[in-house]
Amino acid sequence: MQTITIAASERSPEVEFNFDEGVLKLKGESYPEDVAAFYGPLLTALDKWLSDLAEGAKISCDIELVYFNSSSAKALMNLLLLLEKAGAAGQSVVVNWYFNSDDDTMQEFGEDFSEDLNHVQFNLCAVEGA
Amino acid sequence: MGMLAEEYLSFKKVLQQKGIIFSFSGYVSEGILFALGDALKQKMALEDTDTNTTRKVFSVFVEQVQNIIRYSADRVTGDIGKPVELSSGMIAVGQENGKFFVICANVVKHTDMERLRERLEHIKSLDREGIKAFYKEKLREDPDAESKGASIGLIEIARRASDPIEYDFMSIDDGHAFFCLKAFI
Repeated sequence: MQTITIAASERSPEVEFNFDEGVLKLKGESYPEDVAAFYGPLLTALDKWLSDLAEGAKISCDIELVYFNSSSAKALMNLLLLLEKAGAAGQSVVVNWYFNSDDDTMQEFGEDFSEDLNHVQFNLCAVEGA
Repeated sequence: MGMLAEEYLSFKKVLQQKGIIFSFSGYVSEGILFALGDALKQKMALEDTDTNTTRKVFSVFVEQVQNIIRYSADRVTGDIGKPVELSSGMIAVGQENGKFFVICANVVKHTDMERLRERLEHIKSLDREGIKAFYKEKLREDPDAESKGASIGLIEIARRASDPIEYDFMSIDDGHAFFCLKAFI
């Protein structure tokens, strides 16, 4: 499947879903005007790719968000639940949740998101701030 | 002598007395949310506000303004070559006793008031851990068609707030009330 690349905007994150490599990246801020319009197509593409994937594939998802609003949080949860489903189906899934080491909100979100994911290796990655 | 300047200076002083550093009243759009939010972040950065505090104030600000955009009963819609939907409300950010606060106010229908009150009362009844657990529950829930995700926005506000959120309703006519929500950070 073709890589999805979206440049960051002032309110939406940079996206790179490289399906051939099995590497998914989200980076930046997320409070788009229309959350469904932004995340809907990404989730649809991800779901399709996952359902066609051979068993035992390696998937890595890097989430490097500095801020997201509550509507984006729901979209992120849906993305993680798709990965959890893939993990349960036998894929090898790693999620790297990057946060600035002094950002307790993003750290707590990482902890919240990881708690009910049992088939995904969820790494909380503190990055030293400037 | 300027009556005009006097009138608006006294209006400005009322805002200052309430500790308000930033306010907006009128029709709000996503574009206004972005512009005001950006100015808010810049102002806080200039004052060397702790970055965690800035992030929390910004987060509460976004959720509050999006609540106006989605739920204000005072709205106009139309087509000016593109579809336009504007919601009316008030936004204020200020400082009181060393804490920041974000206030938002808008008109709601009486029929929506009780449901909103129930949601807010439920959130207010929870302690920190309870709020966190409720947030996680809502995160996994399919949004019910009517709420467009309202609850999670309110929970997010309560989570970022340093004190329990304050709110009030005042009936303004047979069908409507004025709703006001204040969160300290």
